[in-house]
Amino acid sequence: MQAAARRPRTNHLDLAQRILDVARQRGFEPGARLPEQQIASLCNVSRTPVRAALSLLAERGVVRWQADTGYHLAVDLTAQSAISAELPAAEEDELAEAILRDRSARRLDQTVTAAGLMRRYSAERKTVLKALNKLTEENLLDRAPGQSWLFRRAPDDPEAQGESYEFRLLLEPAAILTPGFRLDGARAAALRQGMDALSALPDAAFDTREFQRLDMDFHGMIAEGCANRFVADALADHLRLRRLPGIYAGVNVFRLRQSLLEHLNILDHLESRQYEVAADLLRIHLRLSRNQRPQAASRGAPALFGMISRPE
Amino acid sequence: MTRKASPTIALFPEASFGAALNCVGIAQALRAKGARPVFICHAGFSGVFADYGFQEYQLPTDEPLSDSERQSYWQAFVRRHLPHFRLSPIDQLETYVAPTWQAIVDTAVNAEAPLRQLLARLKPDAVVLDNVIMFPAIAAAGCPWVRVVSCAETELPDAEVPPYLSGMGADDPQRAAFEARYLSASAPAHDRFNRFRVDAGLAPLPKGLFLESSPDLNLLLTPTIVRRERAEPLDPQRFVYLEGCVRSEGPFEVPVFPRNKGPLVYVAFGSLGAMDVGLIERMLAVFDRLPARFIVNVGGLRDAYRAVPDNVYLDAWFPQPSVVAKSDLFIHHGGNNSFCEALRFGVPSLIMPYCWDGHDNARRAEETGTGDHIGRDGWTEGVLERAILGLLADDAMRARLRDNAARMALQPGTDVAAQAILSLIRT
Repeated sequence: MQAAARRPRTNHLDLAQRILDVARQRGFEPGARLPEQQIASLCNVSRTPVRAALSLLAERGVVRWQADTGYHLAVDLTAQSAISAELPAAEEDELAEAILRDRSARRLDQTVTAAGLMRRYSAERKTVLKALNKLTEENLLDRAPGQSWLFRRAPDDPEAQGESYEFRLLLEPAAILTPGFRLDGARAAALRQGMDALSALPDAAFDTREFQRLDMDFHGMIAEGCANRFVADALADHLRLRRLPGIYAGVNVFRLRQSLLEHLNILDHLESRQYEVAADLLRIHLRLSRNQRPQAASRGAPALFGMISRPE
Repeated sequence: MTRKASPTIALFPEASFGAALNCVGIAQALRAKGARPVFICHAGFSGVFADYGFQEYQLPTDEPLSDSERQSYWQAFVRRHLPHFRLSPIDQLETYVAPTWQAIVDTAVNAEAPLRQLLARLKPDAVVLDNVIMFPAIAAAGCPWVRVVSCAETELPDAEVPPYLSGMGADDPQRAAFEARYLSASAPAHDRFNRFRVDAGLAPLPKGLFLESSPDLNLLLTPTIVRRERAEPLDPQRFVYLEGCVRSEGPFEVPVFPRNKGPLVYVAFGSLGAMDVGLIERMLAVFDRLPARFIVNVGGLRDAYRAVPDNVYLDAWFPQPSVVAKSDLFIHHGGNNSFCEALRFGVPSLIMPYCWDGHDNARRAEETGTGDHIGRDGWTEGVLERAILGLLADDAMRARLRDNAARMALQPGTDVAAQAILSLIRT
């Protein structure tokens, strides 16, 4: 949470989403009061943009205004996907999502230019630049010479996925073991509730996107609880790459369910301050989560792991 | 006589995704019926079954290859065999089939000692072998064993059934010539395998055969709609047809495409076929101008593609049964699992075979009106376009396949397989 607070967002849509995130992390239930001053303080912004963001949420029916007591939460925030759908995305946010989606599908090359994106998406220059800036701020893109940008390498091929897990194995348990680790109790409770609800769904209704949200939030919570800011920032940057489309593809439901159980077990030990056990369990969780599926197999041939270069 | 409360069933699929995932389906059904399915797996396949919640026992090998050696092996394999996949089935006999049989014999020889040790330790109540070759250790395991014929039905020879791997019709005038060349090409591997069998205490097999039928139970995936009449019908006591054998996967959410209109076409050629980047690139150029959306499995080679069309989505892996269930057409290599999944969900197949029984399934799809096929070599953009649009527009085929899928759904092959396997076990 601290990492995000250090880089406050300015537009009202972002702030509205941020308010919902904070309310969820704090375990706010339907009907809970949302005092402007408290929200402003939690989101590290002034009251004026908070008022505008709450007004936006009120228009969508997510919060309710009462003349005598102010804003109240009107919905159950554990139903995250429904709430997200309520909020319209800003033009540049939609464009940023489209850019990520198209890069993931290799419709875009690793290097893109503003002019090329304007043509592809029939978008104005200022919208394209805002979207590119947003992605650059989130460390998904790097500015390259001229009017071009370079996508950072995502963990979306076997080799990069392996490196990603090695990186996380080094740093995530260390984040817990570094003296001063602090668990956000309200966020942990909301996560537990979300994971229990997802676990209860039958296989046919299992929501992979909800798993992705919970997984990102769980590992993000550990990163942000770390007292060492450099470790926290390095992890936050890396975990953001896992938000890219396609990263969670190909994991079957059985493994995702196991993963939820492992999260809950780690959470138990974090809440009881058994940090060494929690770090060990996290190490095991990461090792089990690493995809072991061979890249290629054929009768009589040894299964292939890792990359093979493009056959000529 | 009563059955053991939780019998241990050891499933031993060959090291290919088709057999592995087919066995996952059977194991899921066995687990649902209270049995304890476990997997015996070749090096490199451990982890695949654990991800579905099954205990794995990896066969140790004397000389495991390092990661870089495996990569070198595959670079050489692909460089050597990609050109062979463009040959006719008969011309693949010496170039691809013969060396593959030699490699398969190697796997059986190398697995024998560790497999005997493992089975002696595991003491399973039954062994399920999904492979194309026999492992003498299984016959000596002291429990019933089950053969899963997860290739096309042609794997079991019969006068009325076309030769295995030929892609021929049953009455093809070139049949005898193919059979003679097959026997000649496979003879060195076969002779070596028979010597190994005799040394291991098993009788030699007739020429061309590498795996006998089980005296206990044999399971064939072949659904009724593509089944063949046999001159010598199979004994229904020992041979059970499964109507496909489709595993259960989680839900699949169709991605949003920038050009998000038209029927959905799923393209997957298996992990080996995904290495034919040149062929897939040529196909993408055709997809770009068609009024449909295409989901394409490109394995680990996504970075080999650039400027992918707006109606195409590439990824490394899909929960295939769940994708096929939402598709209007399935373009595949004729792998038997893929063909059965298409039939199970009432989806026409456009088969572009590159080897093995893919040729047989390609021919059978055309013969039975369950799809169409085009060769991997020599096709033009117009041929591919007409084949895709023709199948998408064939309402009569679609209606027939839908009715057939409803019948297949009534009796899932995985359940039938589990029931038949458990019926072998008595205490």
